[in-house]
Amino acid sequence: MQPTRLVVLVAALCALAAPARADETCQSPYLQKLTAQEDFVYVWTLGVDGLGDGSDKLVTIGANPARPDYGKVVSSVSVGGRHEAHHGGFTDDRRQLWMGGLDDSAIYVFDVATDPAKPKLARIQTDFVEATGGVVGPHTFYPIPGRMLITGLSNATDGGGRTGIAEYSDEGRFVRTLWMPAGAEYGYDLRVNANLNRMLTSSFTGKKNYMRKLPELIGDAEAMKHFGDTMVVWDYHARKPLQTLAVPGAPLEIRWALGPRHFYAFTASALTSKLWGVFRKDDGSFEAVELAPIGDPAKTPLPVDISLSADDRFLFVSTFMDGTSHVYDVSNPRAPKLVHERKIGSQLNMVSQTWDGKRVYFTSSLLANWDKTGADGEQFLRAFSWDGEKLEPLFAVDFTAEKLGRPHIMHFGQASFFTGRERPGGEAPQEKAPPDAGPRVARTP
Amino acid sequence: MRPCLRGAVGVAALLGAWTASAADDPPLFVPPPPGSYALPAIDRVHEHMLLGPDGGKAPLLGLAPDQVALVSFVYRACGDACPLALATLQRLDRHLAATPTLARRVRLVTVSFDPSHDTPERMGELARGLGPHADWRFLTARDEASMAAVLADFGQDALRAGAPDAPAIRHVLKLFLVDARGDVRNVYSSGFLNDEILWNDVVTVLGVAR
Repeated sequence: MQPTRLVVLVAALCALAAPARADETCQSPYLQKLTAQEDFVYVWTLGVDGLGDGSDKLVTIGANPARPDYGKVVSSVSVGGRHEAHHGGFTDDRRQLWMGGLDDSAIYVFDVATDPAKPKLARIQTDFVEATGGVVGPHTFYPIPGRMLITGLSNATDGGGRTGIAEYSDEGRFVRTLWMPAGAEYGYDLRVNANLNRMLTSSFTGKKNYMRKLPELIGDAEAMKHFGDTMVVWDYHARKPLQTLAVPGAPLEIRWALGPRHFYAFTASALTSKLWGVFRKDDGSFEAVELAPIGDPAKTPLPVDISLSADDRFLFVSTFMDGTSHVYDVSNPRAPKLVHERKIGSQLNMVSQTWDGKRVYFTSSLLANWDKTGADGEQFLRAFSWDGEKLEPLFAVDFTAEKLGRPHIMHFGQASFFTGRERPGGEAPQEKAPPDAGPRVARTP
Repeated sequence: MRPCLRGAVGVAALLGAWTASAADDPPLFVPPPPGSYALPAIDRVHEHMLLGPDGGKAPLLGLAPDQVALVSFVYRACGDACPLALATLQRLDRHLAATPTLARRVRLVTVSFDPSHDTPERMGELARGLGPHADWRFLTARDEASMAAVLADFGQDALRAGAPDAPAIRHVLKLFLVDARGDVRNVYSSGFLNDEILWNDVVTVLGVAR
């Protein structure tokens, strides 16, 4: 009995069931996709002392021009206090949105299915550090069937960069911890290529660094030595590291190409400002290749988020320091061509594009202590159209004027996505007896 | 034309196509060997009393202490993902039948999402069309409320759609590997449905040499 290429076949058949798509292109292959224009952008937002209620919050922005709430704040859910709101992700059924705090490692789980326009805080996962055996700073939330993989940035022992990957059930039950391998102890992003049974992870820095004020950190030569310079190739199914790749300068976000025969991924190194490719070789192993400078590396533009179009043609790269979006044509993945640049704001971090590639959303905040201050500290969500040649503004939301805070990661929602998606009979999920695999420590807000 | 699983013809055709595909299309990776990795419990599901093809009560799992089950949910009017789940289980069924040492320890379970239309008799038709060689059971529920509890327990989403006379249930294809304690040891979806991995996982959970 030999496996078939069911992954591709099933994905193709499932795609046939979706008449149209609109979704960010960089999500897990296991995540349900939207089937029409996005109605909402969910924005995980850091609280700012003295601004509004000062708390971290999930902000819902209207994104459908056919709706009256287009470009407006639809709803906002504060979680109370500031926790260094940073990244998050949907569960594979898209019913829950898990959002993490890098400071206290709390995880806020929002129900986005009951009313997609008004997410509700369903529970707060407070066991992350204890259950994982000391992983700190939940960063990437990556859905796989029935579970979430969550990368850490740090550890509870010394606040340095040694960290691990946590695995939780969708119901919030801890399953296991995978510590990063020796020689590649740092963590950041995680992405799976299901066709290859390979998982890639990248590396940043520990809590001692990411919670410091940026000018102070840059001035500390010793601290600046403690950034990751590796990526790890894993056997995804076995959850075992196979290969460590040298990628100097803190490789951050990872984007696998989406084409079924495209066996490569991209990343950007923050400190060295380089675009990198990770390519599968004929023997099945991988190589990391420096591809191109991003901006002027001598000016440390600090590339942060990246986004790859669904056709694997355009790669958007945000550079934080100069607030610029750089668009590369990566049709030839080993020879990217810069085809467009546009200054989005005084600072720039996250970028999310729709599945059809026609709309691109940007937000401004990186970390509470790394964001710019004064006139350069503008905080926004800005939406643009993309026609294959240039970005043009659609709408903008000023998160300071709206007294919301510092906007960070974005995810898309749709009002009708769950219409009729109730389970036959409509009964609520039952409370289950716990398996022996670990404690369930959560509290209801 | 209403897509359907009215008989085993469509499934057999798909199975044939995939077998041919396997010959033409070498795998892109070698799955890790059984026993070389861990499959910790993800969740725990309850036992549920459903209906067998004869209309009598039948447990969804009903496992002996040394058994595991692979459970999938389908409905007979389904035209996209369900044939893939059925064909996957059919291949496993044939492989189990050829592996007597494992055959008695592995139960395959196909459960209908749609008890209103998929009566015990109709699930019996489906079973006869697929012709199980090993321990492969075909179950449905008394009513939709009973099925809702099962789906909720497994975390299997389902979307009621389509006209009343042409029901459709959109869902994410999932297979669940469940041990005798009711612990879910792995969940497979359309993004990672690989026969050899399923087989290796079964062997890993059972803790037997291949």
